[in-house]
Amino acid sequence: MKKLTILLVVMCLLAPTLLFSAGAKEAKSDEITIAFCFQDLETEFWVAGHKAITETLRENGIKVIEKNANEDANRQLEQVKDVITQGVDGVIIIPQDGESAVTIAKVCNEAGVPIGVFNRPPSDRSAKNLVVVANNEVIAEAAVEHMAQEAKKLGRKVYPAIMVGDLGDPNAVGRRQGFMNVMAKYPDLWAQAPVEIPTKWDANVALANLQSAMQANPKIDFLFTSSDFLFPVIKSVLAPLGKWNLVGDPNHVILGGLDGDVTAARLLEEGYLDATGVQNLFYEADLMLEAMLSAIKSGEKTPDKWMDDPGFALTQANLSTKAEEMWGWVLYKEKK
Amino acid sequence: MKQSLRKQRPDEGTPMMQKTALTASSRTITMHASLAKRLLLSEYFVLYLTILYILVLTPIIPRLWHPMNIQNILSNMWPLLVVAIGQTFVLILAGIDLSQTSVMAMSSVIGAVVMTSSADPILFSKSPLWGVLLSEQGGLLGASAFAVPVGILAMLAVGLFIGFLNGFSVAYFKMPPFIVTLVSMMLFSAMAIYLTKSENIRHLPQAYLQISKTKGSFISGSLIIALFLAIIAHIVLTRTLFGKRLYAVGINTTASEISGVPAKTTIIAAYMLSGACAAIAGVLYSSRLEMGRPTLGSTLFIDIVGANIIGGISLAGGKGKVTWTIFGVFFFIILANSLNMLNLSFYIIDMVKGSVILVAALLDVARNSIRKSQM
Repeated sequence: MKKLTILLVVMCLLAPTLLFSAGAKEAKSDEITIAFCFQDLETEFWVAGHKAITETLRENGIKVIEKNANEDANRQLEQVKDVITQGVDGVIIIPQDGESAVTIAKVCNEAGVPIGVFNRPPSDRSAKNLVVVANNEVIAEAAVEHMAQEAKKLGRKVYPAIMVGDLGDPNAVGRRQGFMNVMAKYPDLWAQAPVEIPTKWDANVALANLQSAMQANPKIDFLFTSSDFLFPVIKSVLAPLGKWNLVGDPNHVILGGLDGDVTAARLLEEGYLDATGVQNLFYEADLMLEAMLSAIKSGEKTPDKWMDDPGFALTQANLSTKAEEMWGWVLYKEKK
Repeated sequence: MKQSLRKQRPDEGTPMMQKTALTASSRTITMHASLAKRLLLSEYFVLYLTILYILVLTPIIPRLWHPMNIQNILSNMWPLLVVAIGQTFVLILAGIDLSQTSVMAMSSVIGAVVMTSSADPILFSKSPLWGVLLSEQGGLLGASAFAVPVGILAMLAVGLFIGFLNGFSVAYFKMPPFIVTLVSMMLFSAMAIYLTKSENIRHLPQAYLQISKTKGSFISGSLIIALFLAIIAHIVLTRTLFGKRLYAVGINTTASEISGVPAKTTIIAAYMLSGACAAIAGVLYSSRLEMGRPTLGSTLFIDIVGANIIGGISLAGGKGKVTWTIFGVFFFIILANSLNMLNLSFYIIDMVKGSVILVAALLDVARNSIRKSQM
């Protein structure tokens, strides 16, 4: 009986791995294999980014190894080292932050494996990598410019605020700068200096800080969020204060965001949102794939190239003509 | 009656022969059962299991033996081993230290604040450390030759301090270790984020970054530190009075106190050792990631306790050895590496890891009940 118990225990320990290993296949020698290591899929944007990358790679006959680091930079580093050992031809990462992107890229550089950094750029250029990144400053500026034009129509000064992302992320820095460019452009439009609300890219942090900001500055009527995933948080704070209203309502808070996700698409259609900056995810995925394949085929081990997605702003003014170019709009219509 | 009337078959032999065959067969079964029992109770059981696991996986994952993969396994193992050894001290006490992850985060931040050679004002100007301990020119000892040793000492001091707070609360206020260390974890994790405003501190000295680097072979600073610590911890547990007291307190605190064991001091020392080990792990992880991170190790706790449980360290206290921790960490790292090499999805990897920890905990219960039945 004891023997049987021991046997069962050993089998239990080994079974899960053996069971799943039956499905694991070795890559064919002539097949290009690319590892896609992402930090997590916590927002619609990253889910769509994940889909864009994996679909683009698979459509081109590339074997994709996927690794999710669950927001742990050390785990992502270990995963990248593991896939390098497996002999992948290239690595594409969505890093946890700009700093860890540098460390991971250096590991790939040492191993002679091309690395692409998708949408969240390294904090410096000390490592060589392919980087595809939206021009966050320009996109944010375009969205906030539309908001400023709407504010001018009110014929009075407005009270601006920005929900700032994690400033360790260069994307967040760029978006904040785009917002500040418009602040500097129309100094007479603002009743006070903009209120900066930290979010750390975390909905709970954003909720707590936005609530505090609205209590301290109840006149805020011009709000830009550095990411569209925070719109549900904004609604939950503004609605009880009677400030969640359609565009044109006297109590409407002029509202803008950036990403171009499904929620933003719905809010634009319903008329609650004035503008959102759009990153062209599918274009970014194509750019990354093209550059990565080119490096692999030419035998380039440490390609170094930064590629910009110029993006655009989708506003109430151009909704009818530009909406189909926004990835979130396409997904929204599919869901509908 | 029926049996005795049954016609004997030619191959059945005489009743004496049958009896002999039965005895031989039951002896074989007994021998196998005894061997299995000895194997299960052996302190090398997890090592045997790991070897078996590696042998089974070798044909499935030929790259398991690739030198680069061995290097990966080892470099992943050393920091986890260091922090797991610290947890072993506390588990022997029948305690638990949930705050180890926050010690790693806090110590990596404090160490980086001492050692960094530059800091970006855009990122850090809102930090409470800005202008006091941190500036554009770096940290407290940014350009100094003493930056690395002082930085590491500061990290150790952080670990010892948090460990002391935990141990003191458990020993003198009789607070449950789970709550004390849970609160410490929340408090110091939040403090690490507050001090840096959630930013990572880079630009650490090259000498510090070299600690975790492996050049050409499997030898690295991390290996030397982890093995040295393991040997010291083994000696402390097996050859010193403190080690004996630790087991005594873990088995029965009241009885040990009546017997003259300074239980309170022992508890405080165990938590301080746990904190110190977590701080050293913070050195290894932050050197590896080349930065002080306020979120360092935040997802690592299950790996730390899981490796201990797999190794056979009992959550009930009074039982555990450093060698068991080494085996547990080795198995855990091999398991994680092999699951990665099999390219399983993240969710399946965590499901498998969770199942293995659960089975290991069940195994511990089974081993205890066999031991009791033998007494």
